[in-house]
This record gives sequence, C-alpha cells and structure tokens, in this order.
Amino acid sequence: MNATLALIRDTFREAFARRIFWGFFGCCTALLLFLIFILRVDVVQGALATISIFGNSLPSTNVENLVQQTQSVIAMVLYFAGMALSVFASAGLVSSVFEPGRIELLLSKPVSRTHLLLGRYAGNVLVVAANILYLVVGSWVIFGIKTGVWGLGFLISSLCTIFVFSVLLAVIVLVGVIWDSAAVAIMVTFAIMILTPILAQKNTLERLLSSEWSRDVVRVLYYTLPKTSDISIIIRHLILNQPVESWMPVWSTGLFGIAVLGLGLWRFNKRSF
Amino acid sequence: MASGFAINNKSGFAIETEGLTRVFRNRWANTELRAVDNVSLQVPEGCTFGLLGANGAGKTTFVKMLLSSVHPTSGTARIFGRHAQDASSRRSVGYLPENHRFPTYMTGWGMLDFYGALSGMDSASRKRKIPEMLTTVGLDERAWHTRLGKYSKGMLQRVGLGQAMLHAPRLLVLDEPSDGVDPVGRKQIRDVLQALEQQGVTIFLNSHLLAEVELFCHDVAIIQKGKLSLSGSVKDLTSSGGYRVTACEVPEALISELATRSKAHSVEHGLLELMFSTREQANSAVDSLRANQCEIESLNAIRSTLEEVFIRTVSEKPEGVTDK
Ligand SMILES: Nc1ncnc2c1ncn2[C@@H]1O[C@H](COP(=O)(O)OP(=O)(O)OP(=O)(O)O)[C@@H](O)[C@H]1O
Ligand SMILES: [Mg+2]
Repeated sequence: MNATLALIRDTFREAFARRIFWGFFGCCTALLLFLIFILRVDVVQGALATISIFGNSLPSTNVENLVQQTQSVIAMVLYFAGMALSVFASAGLVSSVFEPGRIELLLSKPVSRTHLLLGRYAGNVLVVAANILYLVVGSWVIFGIKTGVWGLGFLISSLCTIFVFSVLLAVIVLVGVIWDSAAVAIMVTFAIMILTPILAQKNTLERLLSSEWSRDVVRVLYYTLPKTSDISIIIRHLILNQPVESWMPVWSTGLFGIAVLGLGLWRFNKRSF
Repeated sequence: MASGFAINNKSGFAIETEGLTRVFRNRWANTELRAVDNVSLQVPEGCTFGLLGANGAGKTTFVKMLLSSVHPTSGTARIFGRHAQDASSRRSVGYLPENHRFPTYMTGWGMLDFYGALSGMDSASRKRKIPEMLTTVGLDERAWHTRLGKYSKGMLQRVGLGQAMLHAPRLLVLDEPSDGVDPVGRKQIRDVLQALEQQGVTIFLNSHLLAEVELFCHDVAIIQKGKLSLSGSVKDLTSSGGYRVTACEVPEALISELATRSKAHSVEHGLLELMFSTREQANSAVDSLRANQCEIESLNAIRSTLEEVFIRTVSEKPEGVTDK
C-alpha cells in the first residue's frame, strides 16, 4: 500500500513538474471562470428563462435542454481535445519511467514489476481524472447553481471519458514498453483515435468496399479497436437524457484495454533494462 | 531488523550465483556478446567485496542480474538465499546504479522519501531517518529541499548513496560509488561505509579505483570479458609478489647454484639478493645458505599493490577467453 501510494504521488509530482498539465489545468480554470462570469441565467417562473451570454439574451423555453446542449458541447470538447492533450502529456510520463539510469533503481526495490507499472498507470489515470473531474464537476455545480438543472448525465459522461482515456493509456504503456518512445506512443494512439471514427462508419464502408476480405478487415478492426467515436455518441445520449441503444462499444473497448495492458505488463516483466 | 531473512538464509551467503550468464544478441548484425559468462560467485554475509574489471568486462551487467533488472540467459542468482527474480529478495538490498539519472523534479528529501517508501519504510520512520541520512552523506541543509535538477554531480552521488542506505539494508550494492565525488567526499563515503561494515552490512562494490578497493575491500574478484578470472582476499592476492632473500659471504659455487633456482639475483658489495616466487623456494634457499654457514641478512615477502595484480591478471589471457 505504501509503495502504491508512493508511486501515485510520484506520478502527480512528475505531472505537475510538466508545463502541459498546468496548461490543461489552466484551460479548465479559464472555462470555469467563463461560465461563472459570462453566463447569466435569470429564471422566471420555473421553466421560462432568459439565458444571456456576452450580454445578449437568448429567449428560451426550456432551460434544461439548453443546459444539456451546452454540457454536451463541453463534454465533446473534453472528449476529443482534452483526450488528445492528455495522451500527449501522458506519453512522456510513461516513457520517462523507462529511462536508463532510472528504471534500474526502481526495479531494484522490493516491488514487483507488475506493481510498479500498475502504480504508474493508476497514477497517470488519476492525474487525468482529477483534471477532467475538476472541469466537469466544477461546471456542473455552476450550471446547477445558476439554472437549477442538476442532471447526472454530465457527471456520468465524464466517467466515460476517463474510461476511454484509461484504455488509450494502456496503448501508450504497451508502445512505451516495447519502443521506449513517447513520440511513437503518441503516434500510435492518435492513429487509433483517427481511425476509429472512420471505422465507426462500418456500414457505409462495407457498401463502398468491393471485396469480401476488405470488408472482413474493416469488421475485425472495428470490433477489436476501441470505439472512441461510438462512445462519444453514448456520452451525448447520457447528457441529453436519451436512451443508450447498446453498451457494446463500452465493454468491447474495455476488453481491448485489458488485453493491451496485460500485454504491456507481460512485455515489461520479460524485458531487461 | 528483518530477522526472518537470517533464518531463511541457510547458506550464509549474501550473494550466491551459479553459472550466471547473459548473452546480448544483436539480431541485425547477427552477433552475440557474452557480457557475463558462467560466473559462479559467493559473497559471505558481512563481507566487503570488490568486483574489478576493465571497461565492458561485464560488472554492471552482473550487478543488474543480481537485482533482476537484467534477466539472465542462464544460471541463477540468489540474495540471502532467495531467488533474485523474487521481489522480496531485494527487501534488504540498497543499490546505487552506475550512470543513474534521478528524476530532476524531485528534491533531495522527496527522493529519499519516494525510494524509502518503495523499500517498504512507513512514513513515520522515513520522516525520522531522512534528515539523519542527508546529514550522514554530507548534504547541506540548504540542499535538502532543492530540486535534483540543480544538484552538482557529487551531490547527486551523495543523495544516491543516501537513498541506498536509508532503509538500513543488509546488503549494499554500489556501482562506482565515488564517481564524481571530490577526495574529501570520498574519504567521507569510505568512513560511512566502514561504519556500516562494522555493523555487519555486506558491501558489494564495482570500482575502477583500485587503491580505494584495496583500502576498503576484504575480498575481490576480477572479471574479464564476462568470465571470472581471479578471486580471493585482497591480502592473499597482494602478497603474491614473491619473496626476497639477502645473504652475505656466499661462496661463488653456491651463488651460481641458487641463481638457477631463483627468479632473479644480484650481488652488490658482497651482498647476494635472491628473488623467489614461492615461499617453499625461498625456504629451501635459506636451508642451503644456512647449511653453508652463510649469514642471512633479510627475508621478506614482497607485497604487490592491487593495481599490479589487476594489470597482471588483465594482461594475461584467462583460460577459455579467446578473441573473436
Ligand atoms: N543492453 C545491452 N545490450 C547490448 N549489449 C550490452 C547491453 N548492456 C551491456 N552490454 C555490453 O555488455 C558488455 C558489458 O557491459 P557492462 O556495462 O556490464 O560493463 P562494465 O564492466 O560495467 O564496464 P564499465 O567499467 O565501463 O562500467 C559491454 O560490452 C556492453 O557493450
Ligand atoms: Mg559498469
């Protein structure tokens, strides 16, 4: 337990020694301040309200819908831009552990390699989760106070974002363990992030592709790779209080993450430093 | 401390390796390098042991296998009787790696705190021990809360040593500990290590500074192109410089007879000086001299320095080591 806590604390220290995390944190704070000072809502007789942004009033018949729409925009920005930023920052955090001169000393401690790597992994997920929750919980509270809309969808959606990040982090760990390179890890992860929205158009792709084997390739890739784009749709549905058709994208992405992390741990245990 | 280990460790060896081998393969060039080749070594508990060898001889690779950061190709390594692959074998080991790169964002204090926690220390004992340790390794109080990125090389070495000793390990593995430390600092480090030796801590040292090893280590081994080529106590190894016998009034006939048995001889002002490689030869020469009523002037063993032993060993080709 001591060791786990130390590993997590160390990840936080290293993260905050890096400017990119302060950048992330700064962006979140700016957005929160924006919400606090710019967004003004005057609730008149319950549902009827005026929302004013930059002093321009928008007449609205449904505050709840407007809040949800705004929250889903924030969630999407966080999901795509925030995720990219987190991947970018985390690749360095993972590969720094494998630096020669540093890894030998870590490995010489009475902590198993699996424990060491999982400690760092957990620390990294928590760093990003703290940032995401800071923004989401912060803006959720601001919305709640200003509009009285306290829907839980926005909060739950942030857990989905953290979950997808933890799967992508598993990819970063695997690539980092194999190639020791933050740059390669970023490239592979971004490739997955770019590829999956394309694969998500599976039905269209299948119509466009002529040969059966290329359709099989698309199907295999779609079902094995994390479904970031499908999950973004689930997040929207959660926030807008719409029913989620299928949770398959979530659990299959989870399976992918577990498999990749397992592979990374196996490789880490086998490797000599 | 962890007395459970003493019970488990039936062999009484702090380090025990059997046929330890590591081969580095380069798939592209299709070459093979036997960095450590069939090394069987035993270091008794409480011993101060120096591993010597030329650059690239395999010392660091050997140490890394003890601490399982490099996996052996074959053979086994045990620490206090436990398999080196077993994480718990490293509970009472402190290690200072060669060419360490400690995270620059840590402070001296923070670094000891982090590695101390990983070594299994609870936070109360860390809080108590860290200032003591930082003082012991000679770090100024001003430096305690400075980031390691701002440390000088010698300061990093000191804080690294502190990290290795913090959890009161029973085995210290130090790879070039005095690298980059000034002469005064080296003396300080030696004093600290000597105090630990008094407490029965086993110290395993990799070093090029032979004079220092000679001053400090009880046993040494020399490794050459991955193979163990010589090991023994410093005392025995350095006393093998041969024996010198001097005598006066030796008849010509006896001089020429003894000259054939000796390594070298000289006569100056009627004083015969003979050099022998073994004690037996020297003694039998004394017998012959005394039988001829010659006066023995002196008889002494010539000590060679560890450096001479090292150079001699390394310039000979050990058995089985062939140039590829
Ligand atoms: N990871 C590695 N991959 C390939 N070869 C390696 C690796 N690590 C070490 N070697 C090779 O193994 C040999 C032994 O290296 P090692 O670092 O153990 O030497 P050393 O005795 O510690 O040398 P020095 O006195 O310079 O520190 C060297 O020829 C080195 O090039
Ligand atoms: Mg070395």
